[in-house]
Amino acid sequence: MFKPLDPLLHSQLRLAVMSLLISVEEAEFTFLREKTKSTAGNLSVQLDKLEKAGYIGIEKSFKGKRPLTTCKITKTGLKAFEEYVENLKNYIE
Amino acid sequence: MEKELSSKESLALITEMITKAKEETAGDGGFQLLLWGWVIALCNFGHFTLEKLGYEYPYHVWILVVPASVISFWKGFQIARKARVKSHISRVINQVWIMVFAGIVITLAFMPVIGYNQNPVILILSGLGIWTTGSLIRVNFVRAGGVLLLVAAAVGFMLPVSSQHLVSGVAMVLGYLLPGYYLKENCRERV
Repeated sequence: MFKPLDPLLHSQLRLAVMSLLISVEEAEFTFLREKTKSTAGNLSVQLDKLEKAGYIGIEKSFKGKRPLTTCKITKTGLKAFEEYVENLKNYIE
Repeated sequence: MEKELSSKESLALITEMITKAKEETAGDGGFQLLLWGWVIALCNFGHFTLEKLGYEYPYHVWILVVPASVISFWKGFQIARKARVKSHISRVINQVWIMVFAGIVITLAFMPVIGYNQNPVILILSGLGIWTTGSLIRVNFVRAGGVLLLVAAAVGFMLPVSSQHLVSGVAMVLGYLLPGYYLKENCRERV
């Protein structure tokens, strides 16, 4: 029985972000932008969607005088990601 | 408009991103291994040679450890400050090496109590650190360095103290420098 894939995760940029965050404790915005090769604007929009869904937490602070945005995956996000991968396996098998 | 993902593309993307994150958090290009490998190997070979030449204070060579410690802490601090990613692996590796360092300091403080057999004890402590690091970053070549250091420690205990410096020097070359250069060659960015 195929379960539908989470539409929030079944998107190229959001899935890339979640896959990066699943591997680390937290990551800076610049790291995510560089690794996903996305634009700052698009990444901001997608991060906002993930945050509103409770999948990630975003913290804004300063590193010296420069603003710093840090993202980390939440328990809800972790569970959603695991379910997504589990469902994905069914589609591939 | 975002591209529609197929199941296989999704899986490939997940794998690619996890690999990229792993590369970022996997090491410092073997910097600490190379620094300490060179310094301790030189100190051991220096101590052994000066002693054989009849120099009265062969242990003077160990003064090199002071600038090495400063460089090691400074570089570690710089890397931590500039890191754009925090990972559990880096955190655990740092904690392990802090405890290894503390263990070495205690061992050195009690050298007379252990009959100046500090070299094999230090090799054991370093071996544990190298093995754990290798296991966490999943590089068997580094883990092998840890095993080699433990073997060298066992050999050291069977030899007189004066010969232990030679064994330690060789062990540092094989157990620290070789894994260090291996990590450097494999473009690991940080440990």
